[in-house]
Amino acid sequence: MSLLTLNEATIKFGGLVAVNSVSFSLETGDLFGLIGPNGAGKTTCFNIITGVYAPTSGKIHFDGKDITGTPSNKIAKLGICRTFQNIRLFSSMNAIENVVVGGFLRHESTLGSALGYLPSAIKETNKLRSQAMDLLDLVNLADVAESRSRDLPYGKQRRLEIARALATQPKLLLLDEPAAGMNPQEKMELLEMVRKIRDELSITVLVIEHDMKFVMNLCERILVLDHGEEIAQGPPSEIRNDPKVIAAYLGEAV
Amino acid sequence: MIWARNRIISLVIGFLGLVLFDKFILGLSASYDYVKIVVMMCGVFVTLAVSLNLINGITGQFSIGHAAFFQVGAYTCALLSSSVFQSFSQKQPVLWLLFAALFGAIGAAIAGFIIGLPSLRLKGDYLAVVTLGFGEIISIIVRNQKALGEAYGKPVDKIHSVFMVWGLAVLAIAVCRNLLKTAHGLSFLAVREDEVASSAMGVNVTKIKVTAFVIGSAFAGAAGALMAHTKAFVTPQDFSMDVSFIILTMVVLGGTGSITGSVIAAIIFYIIPEKMRDLPPSIPMHVPVAALFGIIAAVIGMRAVQQKIHDEKLKAAGLYVLSMIGGTIVAFVLNLLLKAVPPLQATIIGSNLRMPVLAITLVVLMLLRPQGIFGHHEFSLDWVKGLFKRKSVATSGGAAQ
Repeated sequence: MSLLTLNEATIKFGGLVAVNSVSFSLETGDLFGLIGPNGAGKTTCFNIITGVYAPTSGKIHFDGKDITGTPSNKIAKLGICRTFQNIRLFSSMNAIENVVVGGFLRHESTLGSALGYLPSAIKETNKLRSQAMDLLDLVNLADVAESRSRDLPYGKQRRLEIARALATQPKLLLLDEPAAGMNPQEKMELLEMVRKIRDELSITVLVIEHDMKFVMNLCERILVLDHGEEIAQGPPSEIRNDPKVIAAYLGEAV
Repeated sequence: MIWARNRIISLVIGFLGLVLFDKFILGLSASYDYVKIVVMMCGVFVTLAVSLNLINGITGQFSIGHAAFFQVGAYTCALLSSSVFQSFSQKQPVLWLLFAALFGAIGAAIAGFIIGLPSLRLKGDYLAVVTLGFGEIISIIVRNQKALGEAYGKPVDKIHSVFMVWGLAVLAIAVCRNLLKTAHGLSFLAVREDEVASSAMGVNVTKIKVTAFVIGSAFAGAAGALMAHTKAFVTPQDFSMDVSFIILTMVVLGGTGSITGSVIAAIIFYIIPEKMRDLPPSIPMHVPVAALFGIIAAVIGMRAVQQKIHDEKLKAAGLYVLSMIGGTIVAFVLNLLLKAVPPLQATIIGSNLRMPVLAITLVVLMLLRPQGIFGHHEFSLDWVKGLFKRKSVATSGGAAQ
């Protein structure tokens, strides 16, 4: 059974069809890429999957459940979490606090116990903090755990967003241009990190990225969107040579 | 268990502290009520500011109708103590205060929930307009109900308890501080920082906002109930829009999100206008005019220091003092000169200067310290240590030059 299935998902904003009848499915353990020129509807696809927008028509299934139109916070609980293209960290909070918020969705202690500072709330907070520390270790940010997230350099902010998303213990991780603004060295590290996330944490990854070298190296399957429509789908070797893709996006063979 | 031991110790210390404070204030003002009432009203405003800080500062929801919840609590208590619970409140006044606070809190919490649920889907300015409108609706309803005393107001039994009022303030502070120490509190802060991201991380944004509103308005309602008994009278003027704005001013000036800041700003901004009632009944116009120019001169000086000097704290502090002295000199000299100008020899009533002084303090603070007195900081031993550390670094830097 597929982990995530989009079935002819369509979304219109007034007269603009941002995503037009896009269908694809992800199997557990996939490393799937979503590419396309600017304005092709990639981020909108993410927004439909994560419940920021409800699709105008079409269905989305995740893990055997119909999640079409489910609110974001419930989708996060079901096991889909994302990062943002334009980094949306909780900017005046510490790095570690950002990650704690990510882990908070599966909390068990009640609000009352937090207001009374009861042992159950303290214990849970400590547990979440130590889990957050482990995740910061994973993305090599342990040394800046107490820094305010807005003071971190760009590349570190991107990695912090990944750590925050991982804290929600997702089954599916959506990365929206994770390599944007990174230097080649950082990109290599990111590539390794995403592979590690898939292999060691067995999380399925769906990634939007403009850096072709990065996508072709990382992903096992790729979907190409243009003007909201699917123009190609397949392994990188096929995509690289697909004349439609070359015409729409690549310009030349990579 | 360490937790249990620490908790019991802090509860005992807190309780004894409040009892001593209560006795001290009672001893201080055995012969007249004024000091006692001022101290209690300070406690009421501390509760109000801390509870609004939970909504505005911590959860980031811009509410400017806090006086409405305050009013709901006060009138709930006024109604109940004069009808159903009349004999109870007369026989057991202090115990009744506990119940009054509880009923006031429940009444205001219900109001907070009713307002919160539909309007918290709004953001920023829109929410502000709705809360403002809600405040006016409550006020108009009260002004037109016979049972609530219309515009004249309603007498309430006088029950004074510094212990209860400040107990409530301490409870409000403790609740907010506890919240911020746990992961729950971080999810409130996350809503303030970015709603879309919080929601994507599984935070139920609407629930958090409504919760903040309900807790915040419950404390405001309890404060209202206690204020009704402190002043022994409730009137719509005590809950006008001005009051909402004064509470908001306390939160902003204290440093949005800082509990310590809210407490200190609440005390300062309740005491200043209160003490200014003692000003002489007639003051010649040239005095406040000269003072205003003196303040402007001092602020210009301090702004210049802020822009030019960043690292050497000691030098900056010295120059601050210098600009204040300069401002004072300007004020004195101007005062002597302006004395000769006939239109400025007219006199005004001293206590009328209260609101202008408050407004000027606001402008000056926003110019010199836009993040509020405390910024995002809280008072703690670490914070004090950090302050000294920074100062010592600054002194050594100064010595090197």
